[in-house]
Amino acid sequence: MTDSRQNWLGLGEVDWKSILIYVALVLIGWINIYAAVYDDSHASIFDISQRYGMQLIWIGISFFIGLVVLLIDDKYYHMLAYPLYWVTLLMLVGVIFLGKEVKGAHSWIELGPVSLQPAEFMKVTAALALARYMSTYSFSIHRFSNIFRALLIIGVPALIIILQNDTGSAMVYGAFLFVLYREGLNGWIYVALILSVLLFIFSFLLTPDALLISMILVCVVGEGLSNGRWRSKIVYLALLALITILLYFGANLLFRGHLSFYASLLISIVILLAPVGIYAYRYRLRNVYLYLGLFLASLAFTSTIDYVFDNVLQVHQQKRILDVLGLETDLKGWGYNVNQSKIAIGSGGFFGKGFLDGTQTKFNFVPEQSTDFIFCTVGEEWGFFGSLIVIGLFCLLILRLMKMGERQRESFGRVYCYSVAAIFFFHVAVNVGMTIGLMPVIGIPLPFFSYGGSSLMAFSMLFFIAVKLDASKRELPIN
Amino acid sequence: MNAARIKILQIVVIAVFVVIALRLFYIQVVDGSYKDSAENNVLRYEVQYPSRGEVYDRNGEFLVQSKEVYDLMVVPRDTKPFDTVMLCSITGVPVEKLRAEMAKAERFSRRRASVVIKQLPKDVKLKLDERSFPGFYTVYRTIRSYPRKIAGNLLGYVSEVDEKMIARNPYYRSGDYIGKSGIELAYETVLRGKKGVKVNLVDVHGITQGSYQNGIYDTLPVPGTPITCSIDARLQALAEELLKGKVGSVVAIEPSTGEILVMASSPTYDPDELVGRESGNNYMKLLGNARRPLFNRAVMSRYPPGSTFKIVNGLIGLQEGVLTPQTKYPCYEGYTIGRGVKCHKHWSPLNMIDAVQTSCNAYFCYVLRSILDNRERGNVKETFDIWADYVRSFGFGRKLDSDFLDELNGYVPTSEFYDERYNGRWNSLTVISLSIGQGELGCSPLQMANLAATVANRGHYFIPHVVKRIHDRDSIDARFYVPHYTKVDSKYFEPVVEGMYRAVHNPGGTASIARVEGLDICGKTGTAQNPHGADHSTFMCFAPRNNPKIAVSVYIENGRFGATTAAPIASLIVEQYLTDTITRPQLVDYVKNMQIAYPYYDRQQAKLARTR
Repeated sequence: MTDSRQNWLGLGEVDWKSILIYVALVLIGWINIYAAVYDDSHASIFDISQRYGMQLIWIGISFFIGLVVLLIDDKYYHMLAYPLYWVTLLMLVGVIFLGKEVKGAHSWIELGPVSLQPAEFMKVTAALALARYMSTYSFSIHRFSNIFRALLIIGVPALIIILQNDTGSAMVYGAFLFVLYREGLNGWIYVALILSVLLFIFSFLLTPDALLISMILVCVVGEGLSNGRWRSKIVYLALLALITILLYFGANLLFRGHLSFYASLLISIVILLAPVGIYAYRYRLRNVYLYLGLFLASLAFTSTIDYVFDNVLQVHQQKRILDVLGLETDLKGWGYNVNQSKIAIGSGGFFGKGFLDGTQTKFNFVPEQSTDFIFCTVGEEWGFFGSLIVIGLFCLLILRLMKMGERQRESFGRVYCYSVAAIFFFHVAVNVGMTIGLMPVIGIPLPFFSYGGSSLMAFSMLFFIAVKLDASKRELPIN
Repeated sequence: MNAARIKILQIVVIAVFVVIALRLFYIQVVDGSYKDSAENNVLRYEVQYPSRGEVYDRNGEFLVQSKEVYDLMVVPRDTKPFDTVMLCSITGVPVEKLRAEMAKAERFSRRRASVVIKQLPKDVKLKLDERSFPGFYTVYRTIRSYPRKIAGNLLGYVSEVDEKMIARNPYYRSGDYIGKSGIELAYETVLRGKKGVKVNLVDVHGITQGSYQNGIYDTLPVPGTPITCSIDARLQALAEELLKGKVGSVVAIEPSTGEILVMASSPTYDPDELVGRESGNNYMKLLGNARRPLFNRAVMSRYPPGSTFKIVNGLIGLQEGVLTPQTKYPCYEGYTIGRGVKCHKHWSPLNMIDAVQTSCNAYFCYVLRSILDNRERGNVKETFDIWADYVRSFGFGRKLDSDFLDELNGYVPTSEFYDERYNGRWNSLTVISLSIGQGELGCSPLQMANLAATVANRGHYFIPHVVKRIHDRDSIDARFYVPHYTKVDSKYFEPVVEGMYRAVHNPGGTASIARVEGLDICGKTGTAQNPHGADHSTFMCFAPRNNPKIAVSVYIENGRFGATTAAPIASLIVEQYLTDTITRPQLVDYVKNMQIAYPYYDRQQAKLARTR
């Protein structure tokens, strides 16, 4: 590294490649907003009465913010992490009572001509606060009280945002689990989470009988993989089948009643608990109880899913889940957005229809085109080729942010950089996933692309603070 | 531990992006269905309607014209408050109806166009153009108009295509017009032309945003091809005038070509009534008429042919060799064997020519029995089927395969029919009524006219047809140029023609009323008994005797003797056609003033009125 680079404006060793990716993404996003909103009567891309004109102003402000962020001494971020966290948290609470309502969510404050979304900036301060807390000397990821406090830092803003009725934005805070994993949170929590998600999905795709059978098979095979003794597994399954069949067909002979298949299977599992216990005791295999526990937990989880789905989730959330699982759809109603979005992207082909030639986006078939569904414009006008470039740039940026985290000398910078990577990752995966039908519809913006001043400024801040920390607190090269 | 976790996180990130990329590849490159959906979203095919082909008569006179009209369309969202009363007074639509239509359009869509008023004449359109009604515009269509107001059933009518047809035939779309009967139906594919299309880009609200790719996929509508029909409009008009007040029909054919010159069915209707806004109501009115004006009697009815059919029996007898023109049979006011058949007073014994001239019932009873009891040809069932084959070769008992789709087949019994009815125990006496064209025979007036043409041609006919020329083709269908020979040799026809000539010209002939000096009309009367009331009057003839130009069949329900009603009408038609004048105005008055009662139809009408 040359001296001039190191000390340009006292910025330290700025990662120019990342900034280049950032600028590329912001400009591509701007062009696509122009294409999404374009109509012949307002053809000038600088017309500030139109969204693309406004977005240009936001881009300018964001670049300025970026420059300011780079110029501020990095120790202030560490210092101001908590105060900023409290201030934004206060604004967030205030918005519930004072904010204006947009699309059912109380999440905006009006400052003169512009409206801001504190929830967007909350991500920045929450990341800073979490980084600050987890970088304290006494913090241990293995101590429950520490984990609890870290989760509070993440969970309180999320809870307030849920109260603002903006569940999508709240879910973004789940991204911090990514950071916690990097910092060494117990891996089993993640296994349990993944299993829960899988169980949730399969409980919709499979009948209860099939789900129960697959849970038994997974546990038995899992136990077999860790302990061997396959013959006993086969005997167990055979006995289970036998007892179930006897119960199913014999019930009306025994007590003139009828047992469902599900009930027969459950009863036979209970009957066979004793032999399983003897088996575990005799061969001193303690992990048998683990698999048993896993099975019972899954059983309990699946039986609560229906209740949670019907009573906790709102109707539009239920529909979005059913839609993405391909179980139910209504192309004219709540399935309209996703279907039109898939049509727009799918009709793009390999090289796309060309700039401003996207018929689906130009004629407004896709709702929320310049905000949450901006990726449709990319997909339609630039095709698979253009989409791949955009997706690739995001992937590269996220991996670079993770790398920046790894080369930090202190855990503050590492946790912060990982937080930024996680937030970007969550936004991109969920937003793009939803436009192509891989994810349920969750209304969160695509970073740097979706129209909106608050989100662009917040994402820029997130990014530039990471770049600044990287530039000044880099680990010295080992040799 | 940490290194593994860093790897895992990197792998998770990369894996998620790879999944997204694969999914993108699938929907953008592999699966083509999204491209179709996108086109369906954004392309609107706006139909450009062609004008329907005109129909001319054989002399080049318009029978059907296409009239330009305009449908008034509205896009509710684009309207501004307007003067409803003024719009109504210009278009002549009641205010309530306009309000109702506007409400309907609003319910359908605020942003898409709907029809408010159909088929406005051009002058109304021009008046609308003078004032401005934002949100309203007119669309060019053509409808039918009938300058002569004749031949309703022959020409048929046109109306909007129904759901069933749309489902069956992909050419048709909602709002298209289609021929429903008559020539309009038979020549639908010729007359309809070809719709054009304008491909427009529309936005999510269905509002046109311009032409797709500068209109390179647009096509202009191709107007329908005009048709020259074989009908003679003046003759048709005369026939309809003479039929007024009567129930029946007149069919005239040019024997040398099979071209139908007249096809009139009575009662008829003004074809203009089935066009335009009142067509639905008028159609219901026509349906409510017990005399069934929409029933084309000329081709759809099944009448007993009566004595005109004696000619067929005579010809079969001659061909079968059981009869010569000189064979004489006695008649003492009837045929006395079996149940017997009555006859009127004339000389006896008489030969075949005399028998045709006098329309002797007894004579043809002898003829039919000698055909059926000819044991050289087998038992009665076999001889009967031989007889029925002869009859069918004259075009009876089946469709003639004309270009007129409404045609029905009539009825000629078979030996099985009688086997079933009489349990196999029947003989020539059982079916003796067939000898005089009564009994189980059913013929349409077209078939009887075809018989007249066949006799005029001495043994062959050309399939009767109504179209003379399709304007973009050199010829009409090949089947109309092929002569169809009956199973009777042409040499046997001359004595029959002689008999028909005498029937008109000799004293004592049954049809002297049809005689016109110099025209050499040959004719045969018929008086067909019918269970519903008075006898039907029928007459078939052709003229001149040599090189005939016209063959006519007239059938008047409850018209009594053939000579009373049918013969004068046929005679006037022949005279008008051959000489272009009518020398007997008193005969015209006689026909027009004739009062025929139809108690059967009146009873039906009363019943219909009760059920409403």
